[in-house]
Amino acid sequence: MIQVLINGLVSGAGIALLAVAFQVIYLPTRVLFIALAGTFVLAPYITLTIMSMTGSLGIGIAIALAASILITVLSEWANHGPLSRKNASAGVQLIASLGVYIVIVQTIAMIWGNGPQTLRQGLDFVSRWGDIVITGGQWFMFIIALVLLGAFATLLYSSDLGLRLRALADNPRMFAIFGYNIDRYRILAFSLGGLFAGAAGISMAYDIGFYPHAGLHAVLLAIVAVIIGGRTSFIGPIIGGLLLGIIRAQFVWHFSARWQEAVTFGLLALFLIFRPQGIISRKQRVEAE
Amino acid sequence: MNYVFHLLIYFQIYAIVALSLNLIVGYAGLLTLAHAGYYAVGAYAYAILALNLGWGFVPAALMGCLVAALLSLALSLSAWRLKGDFFVLVSLAVQALIFSTLYNWHSASAPLGSWHNLTNGPFGITGIPRPSFLGWTPSDPASFALFGGVLLAICGFITWRLTASPWGRVLVAMREDELATRGLGKNTRLLKVQVFAISSGLVAIAGALYASYVRYIDPSTASLDESILILSMVIVGGLGNFRGPIVGAAVLILLPEALRFLQLPDAQAANLRMMIYGLLLVLMMHFRPQGIAGNYRLH
Repeated sequence: MIQVLINGLVSGAGIALLAVAFQVIYLPTRVLFIALAGTFVLAPYITLTIMSMTGSLGIGIAIALAASILITVLSEWANHGPLSRKNASAGVQLIASLGVYIVIVQTIAMIWGNGPQTLRQGLDFVSRWGDIVITGGQWFMFIIALVLLGAFATLLYSSDLGLRLRALADNPRMFAIFGYNIDRYRILAFSLGGLFAGAAGISMAYDIGFYPHAGLHAVLLAIVAVIIGGRTSFIGPIIGGLLLGIIRAQFVWHFSARWQEAVTFGLLALFLIFRPQGIISRKQRVEAE
Repeated sequence: MNYVFHLLIYFQIYAIVALSLNLIVGYAGLLTLAHAGYYAVGAYAYAILALNLGWGFVPAALMGCLVAALLSLALSLSAWRLKGDFFVLVSLAVQALIFSTLYNWHSASAPLGSWHNLTNGPFGITGIPRPSFLGWTPSDPASFALFGGVLLAICGFITWRLTASPWGRVLVAMREDELATRGLGKNTRLLKVQVFAISSGLVAIAGALYASYVRYIDPSTASLDESILILSMVIVGGLGNFRGPIVGAAVLILLPEALRFLQLPDAQAANLRMMIYGLLLVLMMHFRPQGIAGNYRLH
């Protein structure tokens, strides 16, 4: 039983990391950045390529994270930023982001092929206590998620930069009136999102492998976590992600893995009907929607 | 010549699909990514009913309509509360649910079409019968194109009359300002249920046409790529009028055919085609958000 709980917690940490990546872009910029799914799968491919060239996992990860940040910043600079300055609607931003996602994924598929890949060579080491088994991949994912999420929470709630990000999320126009350069903080939000999505992509790929179309499914899970946790909060997605991971693992243990998706989206429907504001919410004016 | 008819039939199928999606995206102003799901529901309904029970095209397609219209409640009831971004996400979830249902309703021991193995899972359904209609079975491409043309004309007529009617005008009013429309005493919740049911029913007919033409379907008919392709047609062609989706369907059917002349290997060509769709979406959003022939911009 505890084993199932731990498995759920670890995969939940991965979902939470991606959900935070999504939210750190969505809240300040109001862009539903679907193209995050592209960065999510691009990062492990770059890691793999660099690793086979230099033989070092560390250099691979560093370059892959830099590339993820570059991709998200580029799509803000060339795509979402100009659209925002034109006062484009949310639907337009979403479709443009979908377009970017398609271009990234098809480029990946053309360069590296459509087949599944793994980052890990050979068998993974495992650590045991009694009946409980934790693999190296799980440790890797859990530690990365813990460090990044901890650093993010610290940045957000005990630094000036975090305060400004929250202010931007709260009311962009007011933030601009106070003399801050919105475009710079938007770029910051996008680069944080790229960093987290890349890290989530690499750690999930290390644990379970990857293929070009894996990203969208992962981002969908992350979005479900955002809605469950609370879409107006930076911390909600973390709780939503962990909860979703645990529930999914329990379901697989008790019933079957085939209907896992149905349960995930059934849960989403339940939340949307009975608690659309999510677990962590705050009062909002109606027209803020 | 058969190649031209083949393209024409694909155009007819996708024109019906795009016209029906335009009702939701262009007239009701709600972006949905679940349309391929309802398209596949129509295709599977026709395949299972025609293959197992020997139903003709008309009753099987109408049954598919009914099932798709019922399932459209999943979207329309969510549209009561949600709009904008989060409605799109719900539609993505509905899409994932339909896909995973079609993919998983499978059991190796039970015969195809029985309760335990309704969709045959990832293997899909083969040997779907050609449509039969009052004893006439279009078997060569030319007569099939005629059959598709008749269906397109019927569906086109339905959408044209609907959008030109008072009902269509209330729909546009709801798109522009839902609160004001409600203030005028229009029941916008009922309107949403209606428009989703009609649109899903129409796309189910297109699905039945597709299943009876290709004679093989698998869950990839309900994939997200398919939804994106359909949405691209409506967005590239234009939203909120009758000619936009027709133009979009024609452009996106013909564009990949031009790639055939580049003599790329098959796998690369498929990727390149999707990439062009993606690029087209981005460029349209920047330079012509109302589409080639449309008169409404998304909000």
